[in-house]
Amino acid sequence: MIATKSERLRSADYKAPGGKLVRVRLKEEQGLIRSIKITGDFFLVPEESLGKLEKMLEDAPLREAELRLLVDRFFRGTGAQGLGVSSDDFVKAILSAKETI
Amino acid sequence: MNLAVEEAIPRMVGEGKSPSTVRFWHNSNTIVIGCFQSAKLEVNMDACTETGTEIVRRFTGGGAVYHDSGNLNYAISLPKGHRLVPVGNLQSVFRRLSEGAVEGLRKLGVKAKFEPINDIQVDGKKVSGAAGSIRWNAVFHHGCILVGSDLSILGKVLNVPRAKLEDRHIASVQKRVTTVRDELGHDVSTREVRDAIVGGIESCYGVRVESGVLMNEEVVLAEELYQTKYSRLEWNLEP
Repeated sequence: MIATKSERLRSADYKAPGGKLVRVRLKEEQGLIRSIKITGDFFLVPEESLGKLEKMLEDAPLREAELRLLVDRFFRGTGAQGLGVSSDDFVKAILSAKETI
Repeated sequence: MNLAVEEAIPRMVGEGKSPSTVRFWHNSNTIVIGCFQSAKLEVNMDACTETGTEIVRRFTGGGAVYHDSGNLNYAISLPKGHRLVPVGNLQSVFRRLSEGAVEGLRKLGVKAKFEPINDIQVDGKKVSGAAGSIRWNAVFHHGCILVGSDLSILGKVLNVPRAKLEDRHIASVQKRVTTVRDELGHDVSTREVRDAIVGGIESCYGVRVESGVLMNEEVVLAEELYQTKYSRLEWNLEP
């Protein structure tokens, strides 16, 4: 991931309690997620739905209320099933992303 | 090609063209990463080059596993709604479809037990990890059993993130895994373990496992999947 001058790279390795690892790499610009990549050793079916979540998060503000709404909407809308990772874990992983140089 | 066959079978089972199937197989030195993992983050590329270890991505989630000839993989493909796993819930798939392998290992004398989310452990050490999916109108579950794997290579080629080790209060990946051979205290072949697991599956699920070879259609589909997906760097190494 390469950032432009106005963008900041943020990353987090978040271990879901009793669950799996969620690794977030994102580009932030003025408080908004410009792009995001979520990786990890969790389970999510259907597997293709993760790309939908990443797409839904583009241009979302890096704020808990909005993120929670979006991730919940993703699970409800797609019927996706997570194992070792929950809606709350995705939100916490994104919010814990710290700036990287 | 092994991972392409792994995908071809549940697709065919879901279409009703193949019967419910248990497949056993092994690879030479390979790291198999989960479909959501980043190869760059999870794998020590230099160590892979040094040890001649290949990197392949599977279509199921979960974590990276190291395969060598001392490792036995099993894969169970059932049509969706099968009596063994009537509920379409991944945790119930892992638990129920690990029972045959657990029973097989116990028959050999290994004190194995299923440990959620997806492990088979012996005294807190992992001897097998499973992954699976519910798709293509099929239920799919696969696991790799460390029979006599070279754990020193495993420790070199896998990067285990600090967050994960800290959570489990252990110092390295090598210290949290064990092998069937180490647990028994003597050599055991992958063939013996396979036979024990077939026995475990038969007694656990009340089924009869018949040996066979891949069907022609499964081979054709696997070859296509290999050409279009599993032989490609963009599938195996990105993101």
